[in-house]
Amino acid sequence: MKIKKLLFVTKFESLCYDALYSLLDLRKSGLEHVVFLNVIEREKVAMRRGRGYVKDEEVRLKEIANIRFIDWAENLFEMGMEVGAYIEVASLIPKIIAVVEKEQPDLIVIGRSRKGKLEQLYSRSDITELTRRSPVPILVFKHMTENKLVPAKIFERPLFATSWSNSSEKAVSCLKELGNIIGEIHLMHVVDEKDLKSSDTHGVQGVRKKERNRLDDLCAEFEEKGITAKPHVYVGDPETEILKAARENQASLIILGFSDRTALMERWIGSISRNIADKSPFPCLLFPVKK
Amino acid sequence: MCKKVLVVDDDPDVRSFVVTVLEENQFTPLVACDGVEGLEMIQKETPDLVILDVLMPKGSGIRLYHHLKTDDTLKAVPVIMFTGIALRSFLKSQKALEEFKGEKVPEPDIYLEKPVEPQDLVDAIKKKI
Repeated sequence: MKIKKLLFVTKFESLCYDALYSLLDLRKSGLEHVVFLNVIEREKVAMRRGRGYVKDEEVRLKEIANIRFIDWAENLFEMGMEVGAYIEVASLIPKIIAVVEKEQPDLIVIGRSRKGKLEQLYSRSDITELTRRSPVPILVFKHMTENKLVPAKIFERPLFATSWSNSSEKAVSCLKELGNIIGEIHLMHVVDEKDLKSSDTHGVQGVRKKERNRLDDLCAEFEEKGITAKPHVYVGDPETEILKAARENQASLIILGFSDRTALMERWIGSISRNIADKSPFPCLLFPVKK
Repeated sequence: MCKKVLVVDDDPDVRSFVVTVLEENQFTPLVACDGVEGLEMIQKETPDLVILDVLMPKGSGIRLYHHLKTDDTLKAVPVIMFTGIALRSFLKSQKALEEFKGEKVPEPDIYLEKPVEPQDLVDAIKKKI
């Protein structure tokens, strides 16, 4: 699975041209088409008492977005890339899904969710909602340092946390195509403490060995494609351990498969992928469950 | 018989502006919302002139222009570029496509940067047909 076309969803707040520019390394692996999407929230132009639908505001917001997109598009066109743009008044997630169906991108790039905790409880975070409904991977882009600098090469040193689920399989097939831009990939699996049932060292080491062997096999698959890969087994709470591994290995990106926990469970308990995508300082690439 | 002019633009306000100008000047307007639909219309209707935007979903005017000017059956169709993208960027993009695809294309005869006055658009159309 190659990333030839990406959908760049922006509100011009955290996700701007610097973020897009840092992804242009993907051109070495086949990226040739970028589609911009700016969704103007309905509340900004909705009917107001005494004023009606705020058409002037809609025109103003669309023109501001258009001016930004023209500027970005000129840069990309000059590089010989294909560019498209949508500026729409709509609800964010349904609009993204509609554009995904129309444009068939290979990757969606979006900023982190801005919804509050209470809002997320009732309507889910944008990331969760999108991952539930999107058939394509989602890159949750973040500025990694306090001074908001964008990592120059986001795919240089990714950490792939595999749960051996079918979404992880999808991730592997996509990552193998990025040999030109991945410097070194770190593969990890987190063993739940509950799975270490044995009270003796031998049993515990057995669990580690089994997971390590699976990771070694996966490393071999990546190395066949010319990508340096390093395996790591961690034990404990997955969310904590994945963040620990990302820091220890100086990851530029965390890659995760999305769990197929039911929507209701996820809303109340949360999911590892969602929590990491929403709260961690690392950019995250999420692979949806294979339908 | 009225000459057929195809306007390819994703912005409904721009389409409506151009269609009004065309109708008031006794041309038959045809419309398409993106590059893909534009190419289909050109192949089906063979218009006398195409007024083409650049930044559109589902196929940009850059690729459509390159396609038109490298297709022997379509290269004679005159094209007026009507866009917010600067001419300098347009020419650089065509050069990048030429390097990639190996086929040279001529510069557009008329390049109008939005916005334009209705009369300027009429004058440009009349220059081509």
